[in-house]
Amino acid sequence: MAKKAKSRTIIVRLLSMAKTGYFYTFTRPRVAQPMGLLKYDPIIRRKVLFLEQKKKGKAVI
Amino acid sequence: MAAVSQKHVQLALALPTKLRSFLARYPPVAILPAGVDPETSKTGYQQDTPNPFLPMKHPVTGKWHDPKYSLRRQADLVKLARTHGVEELLPFTPKKTEERLRKRVELGLRVKGTGVDQKVKGHKHERTLVAKMEKRREAMLEMPNLIREWKKVGKRNWTKFPK
Repeated sequence: MAKKAKSRTIIVRLLSMAKTGYFYTFTRPRVAQPMGLLKYDPIIRRKVLFLEQKKKGKAVI
Repeated sequence: MAAVSQKHVQLALALPTKLRSFLARYPPVAILPAGVDPETSKTGYQQDTPNPFLPMKHPVTGKWHDPKYSLRRQADLVKLARTHGVEELLPFTPKKTEERLRKRVELGLRVKGTGVDQKVKGHKHERTLVAKMEKRREAMLEMPNLIREWKKVGKRNWTKFPK
């Protein structure tokens, strides 16, 4: 049986670099570069750097 | 001298029977006549159980025996002795006033963790709060440097992503 085709886009999690555990979720094309953004972290109420979290295991999102 | 001891005898006779018979069976060293060796002049009761208020391990069988006086009767005796001002003549018991006060101090408010040498455990988030805030503070102190570096390296070449 043929494997299911991978979707063109993936859902990624952008984690706050302020170590608050706060994150945003975005979709991006699978082939694009990993994301990084300056965005608002409501826990420390400031704009901080958010970077894409590395994928764990084989789980396909 | 005789008058003084006569007065003491009168005072002793004024005690309730319960207390008098207890003190006769278990006389403390303080009320023994002068010049008597407390070791040799023990009553039969005292030889059997030095302190009738505490459980005792049998010297031969090694089994534990209950106190001769139950906790209820101990409390009765202590209360009786306290009203007549002779509480210090009774042997050690957890019902004595000073022992109760000591226990009260040790246990604090009776809430677990508030007594002497006790700690309130608290929830996990409360225990880890300080470390968490410290981690956050350090990350925030490093943030301007991180952003500067990220802007310098550029989105395309950035490789340090969090796990």
